[in-house]
Amino acid sequence: MGELTGLQLANVAGESVSRDRIRVLQRLGVFCGIAAGAWLGAAEAPAKLVSAGLSPFLISFLMVVGVFLGRWSLPAALRGTAGIRTDIRNAPHLVIWAIIAGCLWSVANTLTIFAIRDLGLSIAFPLWNSNALIGILWGVLFFHELKDAGRGKWIAVLGGALLMFVGGILLARASARQMSPQAATRGMVAALGAGVLWGTMYIPYRKAYLSGMNPLSFVSFFTVGELCMMTALAVRYLGGFKELWLQIVAVGHLQFWLLAAGLVWVIGDIFQQYAVKYIGVSRGIPLSNSNQLWGLLWGALAFGEFRGWGHSAVAAAIYGSILMALGMAAISFSTAGKSEYGQWREAAHREQRRYGIDAQFVSSAMEGRASQTTSSSRWWDGLLVVVATAVFVWTAGLARLPAIALNWQVVCGLVTVGLALLAAATLFLWKLTRFN
Amino acid sequence: MNPSEPAADERNALVLVLRDAHFWVPTIVLLAGLVLLRWVS
Repeated sequence: MGELTGLQLANVAGESVSRDRIRVLQRLGVFCGIAAGAWLGAAEAPAKLVSAGLSPFLISFLMVVGVFLGRWSLPAALRGTAGIRTDIRNAPHLVIWAIIAGCLWSVANTLTIFAIRDLGLSIAFPLWNSNALIGILWGVLFFHELKDAGRGKWIAVLGGALLMFVGGILLARASARQMSPQAATRGMVAALGAGVLWGTMYIPYRKAYLSGMNPLSFVSFFTVGELCMMTALAVRYLGGFKELWLQIVAVGHLQFWLLAAGLVWVIGDIFQQYAVKYIGVSRGIPLSNSNQLWGLLWGALAFGEFRGWGHSAVAAAIYGSILMALGMAAISFSTAGKSEYGQWREAAHREQRRYGIDAQFVSSAMEGRASQTTSSSRWWDGLLVVVATAVFVWTAGLARLPAIALNWQVVCGLVTVGLALLAAATLFLWKLTRFN
Repeated sequence: MNPSEPAADERNALVLVLRDAHFWVPTIVLLAGLVLLRWVS
């Protein structure tokens, strides 16, 4: 089975995958991108509950611990660790790619916390969302994305990404009018730097999915890089392990909110990974960047940030949101056609040759199918889920709700919409790909 | 190839990655990010 040549691989992928299958997988990718936006945006809500004054390194470290727990327990619950072992046996080099992606994430996330501190969330957010433009650049340069796509799709994707960027700037300006305008150079550089790091992080993502790696396996190793890099940064900048530990203990009542922010972010990121797998970086990332819109909904409606806003600021927020929605729509309707899909196959073929990966493993993954059946769940899969749940329950017992006014009706509404998107996207993924 | 055997030798994985020109893009960006972080902190 592994003796297939590159040409045969192209034939396997090209002829056996029907046009309908490609179309439905791309719809799945678009839906995952939209669900990712909702959950990545919601991740800001728990973090917002945390009072200011904590070190950015401590905030980022505790979020990464929540991310680590989520990234090992959710894949174990959905697919079992046996599937992870099978993927690693087929493409061991992707462990290195996953770890470097995790390191990029940790540095970028810490930079965003500095940017929020210096500029405020509303200005920093659209600046680091420039990662979509960086992602499109790498997608086109390295992975043949948008090649043979036709002028119309180029215009739709680039125009959509630009609309979302301009919409983001409008949202930022609307919010910025409500605070003291101290746009520090340092904060802007930190936010733009985070955008470059996050945009570059999609090189490993795309490489993994063109090579047949399951997104749930990839994130498990990704998070090892995240935790190692974040621990090194926290120890280095907080003054040693002892100081880090003392600071963690000192914020016992806030730990849960930061861990929860990490967990909510993981759910969004898993959908983002599937979006990148099925529609590529150039479409998946702009769609998941709609998290800014959801962040605004949480901030303005649930946390009451609209109170006291002037008429023009509210109007700018509405126009910005409409532009972002139009950008999302333009990208959603510009999925790859048969000829562009052929270019993706070529990129996958290159990866298969370069790393000596089983051709069947690569082509099955591109079709959203498993090439080998893996054994059923093991006892340690359950243990991972139990340990992660115990940590969340324990820290929840210590948590206190900060004194902050919340519109609970809106919170319930947004949570319901988020859960509905989660259920629908999970069902869609399960029915079509069995999480492959 | 037997599906139970690894498609690529784990010992060669690092060498293959280091030979991949794409690898140096995220590596350089990561190093630049660490320098930037030192500057903003």
